[in-house]
Amino acid sequence: MVICSHCQAQQLDGTIFCTVCGASLIHARSTRQTTASLNRAAAEAPQLDGDDATIVPAPATKTESATIALVVLSSGRRIVLPVTSELVIGRKDQQRNFFPDVDLSLDGGYDAGVSRRHARIVCHNGSYVLEDLGSSNGTFLNRQRVSPDRPVPLHHGDEIQFGMLLVRFETNG
Amino acid sequence: MSKVDLRITPSRSVLPASQEPQLLYALVELSAQSGATKMPRLPLNLCLVIDRSSSMRGERLQQVKQAAMQILDLLGDHESFALVTFNDRAEVVVSAQLARARAEIKRQISAIEAAGGTEMATGLALGVQELQRAMMPRAVHRLLLLTDGRTYGDEGRCVEIARRAQSRGIGITALGIGSEWNEDLLETIAARENSRTHYITSAAEITKIFTAEVERMHNIFAQDVHLRAMLPSQALLRSLDRVRPYIGPLPVIEEADFVWTAALGDWPENDVQALLMELVVPPLPVGRHTLLRLGLRYRTPGSDGATASHEQVLTVTTRNPDEVSDEVDPTVKHWLERLVAYRLQASAWQAVEEGKLEEATRRLQMAGTRLFEAGEIELARTVQEEATRLLRSGQASAEGRKRIKYGTRGLIGREGQS
Repeated sequence: MVICSHCQAQQLDGTIFCTVCGASLIHARSTRQTTASLNRAAAEAPQLDGDDATIVPAPATKTESATIALVVLSSGRRIVLPVTSELVIGRKDQQRNFFPDVDLSLDGGYDAGVSRRHARIVCHNGSYVLEDLGSSNGTFLNRQRVSPDRPVPLHHGDEIQFGMLLVRFETNG
Repeated sequence: MSKVDLRITPSRSVLPASQEPQLLYALVELSAQSGATKMPRLPLNLCLVIDRSSSMRGERLQQVKQAAMQILDLLGDHESFALVTFNDRAEVVVSAQLARARAEIKRQISAIEAAGGTEMATGLALGVQELQRAMMPRAVHRLLLLTDGRTYGDEGRCVEIARRAQSRGIGITALGIGSEWNEDLLETIAARENSRTHYITSAAEITKIFTAEVERMHNIFAQDVHLRAMLPSQALLRSLDRVRPYIGPLPVIEEADFVWTAALGDWPENDVQALLMELVVPPLPVGRHTLLRLGLRYRTPGSDGATASHEQVLTVTTRNPDEVSDEVDPTVKHWLERLVAYRLQASAWQAVEEGKLEEATRRLQMAGTRLFEAGEIELARTVQEEATRLLRSGQASAEGRKRIKYGTRGLIGREGQS
C-alpha cells in the first residue's frame, strides 16, 4: 500500500498516478522515509474537504503582528509567514541541504515544475516585490511572466504561478 | 494479406515479490503491416448529415460543400453516397445512390444554402434512413455528421437514433465546428464501436478532416475486432482504455472467471491502435509468472468473413523487493499520464455540474500538471487558464472546455500525428 502525499488516499503498490487526485506517486515512494514526519504535519495543516464546495478561505484575518500568506489554490493550503526582508520560495532538497523559507514540495511542487530556488518575495518599507530566481519553468504574476532580472511589485490578492502551481498572495496590513 | 503485430509493454517487467496485491499497467499496441497483395477494398455506404443553420453561412458552408464534392470524387462507381441537411427541419439533398451521376450530384450540393436554426434529430433520422436504403451485404456503413450549433430539446432522440443505427452496424463520425455545439452530446453519440468525434477548430480544416475520415473508412482491413484478456486466478483487469489513435474508455465484459473481452470495431490499416490496461496482480512468490494472455480475433474483408486470430503472452519476473528498482517504462508512463489528464478533466466537468468549483479547479490544475509533464505544454496552459477562469468567474469558457475535452483525447486537428 502506498499513501498519496498529495491527498492522503491509499493506493495499490505499483500505482504511478494517484487514482483520486492524479498526483505522481513515483517520487513520493522514493522519499517516503524522509517525508514521513512532514506528511503528518501536512495532514494536520488545514485542508479542504474533498467533498465540500468550499471557496478558498476569505483573505485577511486580523492578527496582531504583520503576516503575509500564500494560499496554494490546488491544495487549499494556506501558508502564513512572518514578514521578513526576504522569503525564498522553492522545494526543499535534503540531499543538497537546501531548505527554502516556503517549501512547495508538499503541494505537488515537483510535479508542477517548481524549482528548488524558484523565486523570492522581498519586503521593503511595507511594500513587496516578487523576483524570479532563474527558475526552470518560470514565475508568473497575474499571468504575466516575471523575468528573472526584473522584480515586480506584489499586492494583496495577486495571483502568482510558480511553474504550474497557482498561489494567491495575501497581506493583512 | 496484412500481418498483425501485437505487442505488450508492462510498466515494470520486474516486480517485487509481495504479500499484497499490486498494480501493473500494460500498454497493448496493435499495428498492421501490409503484405505484398493489395487488400480488397470494402465498398463504402456513406451519408453526410450537414447542419445548414444560419451560423454555417459563409466560409463554413463553402468548405463543407467543397469537402462533399471532394469526397464524391474519392468514391468508386460501386459505392453509395447520400447527403442530408438540417436546420429547423431536415431535407434529403442527395438521395442514396451509387456515386455515378457526379455532375448532377455536385450541382445539388452547390445549391445548399444556410438559414434557420438547428434541429439535429430529424436530420440524423433521415440520414440513417438513406443509409438503410443502400444497405449492401458486405460494406462499410458510415454517417458523417457536422454541426456548429446546439440542438434544443431533441438530444435524447439524437442519442436514441444513433444507438439504433450503431446496433445495425452503422458507424457515426460526429464533427463539431466553432464554439457553440454541445460536446457532451457529440461525445455520447460517438461513444460506440466504429464511431468517433472530432473538434474542427477552423473552417479551413473541414475538407482535410472530411477526406481523411473517408480515407480511413476506405482502408479497413479487419472488422469486428475483439480483444480477449485471460488473467491468472485472483488477478483483475481494473480498466481498459484506448490511448491511440485517440483516448477514451473501452467497455469490458467479464466473460468467464478471469477472462475479459472488449469489442474494438473496425480497424483502418493506417491506424496504430494502442490500449492501456490496469491489472491488479495478486501476491506472487519470487520467480517467473505469466500475467496475461491476450487474444485478438477479427474478420478480414476479402476472405468471405473468415476469422483470423493472434495471441500474445506477457510474463514478468518477481524478485526480492530490495532488488527491484522503482523505474517504470517511459512510454507506458507517457500514455498513462495523458490518460490520467483526460480522466481528471472529465471528472472536473462532472464536479462543475455538481457545483463543486473548488474540486473542479483542483482537478483541472492537476490535469494541467499531468499534461505539462507529458510534454503537452500548450494544452497544459489552456487547462491552467480555464482552471483560473473557473475559480474566478465560476464557469469555464465554451471554447476552452471544448479544447480541453477534445485536446486531452487527442481529437483536435492532429490526424496522423498522435
